[in-house]
Amino acid sequence: MNDRVKHIFIWPAFLLVLVITLFPLIYALTVSFQTIRIVPPTPARFVGLDNYGDILANARFWGAIGTTATIVIFSVVLQYVIGLSVALALHHNVPGASLFRVTFLLPMFLAPVCVALIAKMIFHPVLGPANEFFTMFGLENLPFLTDPNFAIAVLIAIETWQWTPFVVLLMLAGLQGLPAEVFEAASVDNVSAWRRFCDITFPMLLPLSAAVIFIRLIEGFKIIDTVFVLTGGGPGTSTETLTLFAYNEGFKKFNIGMTSALSFLFLIVVIVFGTLYLAGARKLTQRYEQ
Amino acid sequence: MKKLLMSVAALPLATMTHAECLPDYTGVTLTISTQNGPYVASALRTAADSWEAKTCGEVNLVEFPFGELYPKFLTAMSQQTGDFDVIGFIPAWVPDFAPYLSTMPAEMQQGDAWDDLHPVYRERLMSWGGEIKSATMDGDMHMLNYRADLFEDPDNMSAFKAEYGYDLAAPVTWDQYYDIAAFFNASDAVDYGTAEAYARGGQQFWYFFSHAASYTNNPNNPGSMFFDPETMDAQINNAGWLRALEDYKRGLDFNPPGSLNNGSGDVRPLYAGGTVAMNLDWADSGILGATEGSIAGNVRTAMLPGATQIWNHVSGDWDEFNAPVASPFLAFGGWQLAVPSDSANQEAAWSYVAELTSPELSGEAIVTANTGVNPYRLSHYDDIEKWLSIFTEEEARSYLAAQRASLDAPNVALDLRLPGFFSYTEILEIELSKALAGQVEPQEALDTIAAEWDKLTDEFGRDSQLAAYRASMGLPALN
Amino acid sequence: MSREGFRKAGFLLSLFWLVLCIFPLWWVLVTAFKPPLAVSGGATYVPFFDFQPTLQAFRDAFSGIRGDFYGPIISSVLISIVSTALAVLLGSMAAYALIRFTFSIRLLAGLLFGVLAIGGFVVMTELWDMAVPYALLIVLFVALPAAVWANGRNLPGPVMGNDDVTFWFVSQRMFPPIVSAFALFLLYAETGKAGLRLLDTFGGMVLAYTAFGLPFAVWLMRDFFESVPVEVEEAAMVDDIGRMRIFAQIVLPMSLPGLIATSMVVLAFIWNEFLFALLLTSSKWQTLPILLAGQNSSRGDEWWAVSVATLISIIPMILVATFLGRMMRSGMLSGSIK
Repeated sequence: MNDRVKHIFIWPAFLLVLVITLFPLIYALTVSFQTIRIVPPTPARFVGLDNYGDILANARFWGAIGTTATIVIFSVVLQYVIGLSVALALHHNVPGASLFRVTFLLPMFLAPVCVALIAKMIFHPVLGPANEFFTMFGLENLPFLTDPNFAIAVLIAIETWQWTPFVVLLMLAGLQGLPAEVFEAASVDNVSAWRRFCDITFPMLLPLSAAVIFIRLIEGFKIIDTVFVLTGGGPGTSTETLTLFAYNEGFKKFNIGMTSALSFLFLIVVIVFGTLYLAGARKLTQRYEQ
Repeated sequence: MKKLLMSVAALPLATMTHAECLPDYTGVTLTISTQNGPYVASALRTAADSWEAKTCGEVNLVEFPFGELYPKFLTAMSQQTGDFDVIGFIPAWVPDFAPYLSTMPAEMQQGDAWDDLHPVYRERLMSWGGEIKSATMDGDMHMLNYRADLFEDPDNMSAFKAEYGYDLAAPVTWDQYYDIAAFFNASDAVDYGTAEAYARGGQQFWYFFSHAASYTNNPNNPGSMFFDPETMDAQINNAGWLRALEDYKRGLDFNPPGSLNNGSGDVRPLYAGGTVAMNLDWADSGILGATEGSIAGNVRTAMLPGATQIWNHVSGDWDEFNAPVASPFLAFGGWQLAVPSDSANQEAAWSYVAELTSPELSGEAIVTANTGVNPYRLSHYDDIEKWLSIFTEEEARSYLAAQRASLDAPNVALDLRLPGFFSYTEILEIELSKALAGQVEPQEALDTIAAEWDKLTDEFGRDSQLAAYRASMGLPALN
Repeated sequence: MSREGFRKAGFLLSLFWLVLCIFPLWWVLVTAFKPPLAVSGGATYVPFFDFQPTLQAFRDAFSGIRGDFYGPIISSVLISIVSTALAVLLGSMAAYALIRFTFSIRLLAGLLFGVLAIGGFVVMTELWDMAVPYALLIVLFVALPAAVWANGRNLPGPVMGNDDVTFWFVSQRMFPPIVSAFALFLLYAETGKAGLRLLDTFGGMVLAYTAFGLPFAVWLMRDFFESVPVEVEEAAMVDDIGRMRIFAQIVLPMSLPGLIATSMVVLAFIWNEFLFALLLTSSKWQTLPILLAGQNSSRGDEWWAVSVATLISIIPMILVATFLGRMMRSGMLSGSIK
């Protein structure tokens, strides 16, 4: 059907996305090839790929990639494992499932800034409940937010807390959509629960799982709110994520050219990462489908 | 639309009855901005109420987190948006802001209120490039605060003398400071020895500078604390700075746990609440202790400890002095108010500034807790009566004497003021927090900072940076 | 393990996870009522038992001593609601078009657009020194019609269909927000210099957030529309009712649950959004997340003040989440999830 009216339906959205999301990128791209500083005010100078080169040579950039990747990968693995388990539990109608369903959604809907503020209180090394909890095991006054490794662990914990509900939601829907006949056949054959999971449920969920993990990975890479509030990137730059690094460059040092180049490099990192993942996921899914 | 909603929401709260508006600014709305309260913002709010009552104008106060002030102000001013009529900021940013600020009206640069300002603030901090671009609203320096009850307790005094061999009193050198901190940390009389700020973004590097001034602000080489005043080479990795960093780090042992995450806002309640025997801070700790803390009556303030050895960067060795040389560090310099040149209400804005910095209003602010306003006018120091409303006489005398002595000290150390301040301090903060967390050795951290500082200086233009640095240190231009 | 054993384990896990989910929310709720001593003395948990609750923090917050609360709240409410409405409206329209009509876009035409746009922009700004916003406008009005015209010609090469267009919309989500936020900041700054003020304005924020919410809206509404039976529309078309009216008066009402769900999801994302607000607002249109980040800096140990502020942001979202959870239970949304 090719009514001309179809244009009225789609062009507003299309134009808006084009003008707001894509056009600025054209401008930013040109800026990334120049040196522009607002402070102190220096006139724009064309420098070609120098900005890109400087960033790639900057250890802080690779550190930020490492930090972001660590947080994302660990938290997504945890999200998936816990999320799938919880989804399985809910699917088999454990008592109270309806209450669980509602409360499990909550963390997802809170602003990451809020979650970070709450976490800052909970993980206070002296006055927070986390400290009381760990003191029970003899570990007093752990430097949750001031030691690089602890800080990253806390960030991973927060990410997991906040986004496991997303995984639960989607995996549960996936579980509910699985064909019943296969399971009936399995119960006739008296297959054990564990084998049933390994040989039937999990492989059938593989495409959905791959998609869910992919979404969470891409979304996770963007992390900034939590880090901004919780540690500000410290101690040193050990918890500085890519977005935070870009923000600091652009808005504390007003190094506009460098920040634009950094944004594009970030985009390339995400694309590379995403492509690698999709290729790997496809292979895995195909293998399992045999 | 939003204004309509706001005014509707505010209707029940409006209680404006006034007879005359002098000068008349009816219909004028000033947008003033500074860091999140209560410090500084509450003083702005109080002055706003007073100004609104006098002139029938309106004031809208916008607050940002401290870390956001610089970007927000600079973005607005460089874009000429006219968003802000009055900004409250720190002198370190004056070099970057100066091109966008309007000059103080000539009428304000004379008269009793003008003469009442302490010369250090008037001549050094308020001017840049030969023009008065901002008004001091607060006098800042780091002090040593300590507790009379602990220091004058006979048991403590005899125990201390027995262990360390000299009398317990306000420390005049950093070694004494650490002896006392260790003593009180171990003692049952109080929980911990001292409190300093260590957190990145918590104004920590000023605490570090306070230590460094004693070892690097050499009276024989004026202006050589941060950079070589001849070549603009970074000095931050010399032996004096190294000793300061080792000291600063050593203090962690005598601080309460979790102090690596303490900002300046955290060290105050620790002192005022009686958890520590001493702290390093701006004068706010004293006020807090006397008004909201549990140590009222026992607040004492002293000048920062000094040193008998100061590094001489020219000879490459330590200079020895017979008596400890105090180099009180004017940390922060003191909040400034300025009127951006793109403001549409400059006259009204400067009238507000005059109101806030007036001897009367400022005299009130300095004795009110949580305002962040510390003395800077001669009348603030001389008039002891108003201080008695919060201090005992002994407290007041010690408090004022220490500040006055710091300002008048021959080897007073000025804070860093350079274009691109943030770029310099960002690498400083990063490496400093790494060194404090034990991730790198102190010398390595300082070397990294120095290398980066030299790189930045070259990028910004060594000659212009050198000229700016010499001006900020009160040195004549090189020719 | 037996089936029963797994079930028990599942129950325990769910219970454990429930406690973990609820505890931080309980904590912030309770802390908002704590007097200073209940915080500095160590962790306390139960009001009336561990400590005496007080309303002082709430009074402080709303009286304005601690800074302007009302402003950011109003900003957030206004911006979120308008942006959500626009995003869902435009997104539904686009989603509907992608379901009911066929689009074909030749890759070459798309490439032509790209080349003309970037090339033209560079030429105009670098060689001819034109101001950025004007250059972009010219590019828009020249390159776009040119590409559309080229699309009408029979060009060789692959043709992209509806699914590709959908993918294009949805892939906007994959962009790291810093990339678009920063680029948008630069653009808004430039338009500001050219006279049109977009930074820190209602219009600027709504534009940005609508574009931000569109990918969600298109993605979600597409699934909802798929479950609307075509026959109803075909019947209406036989009666010669215009497409727009069919959309507005038949399709939309039939997918009301989906509209509501999508609106709530989009609203949640915009309400909680931080980065765009950080970069694009200043004094006049600060939103709640920025206010909250500000509470963090100079409050030190004033946990009660922080908690009150956090609660103000959280409570509307808890209502949204609860409502959505109920809708899910009644199975209205199961189709869309796929």
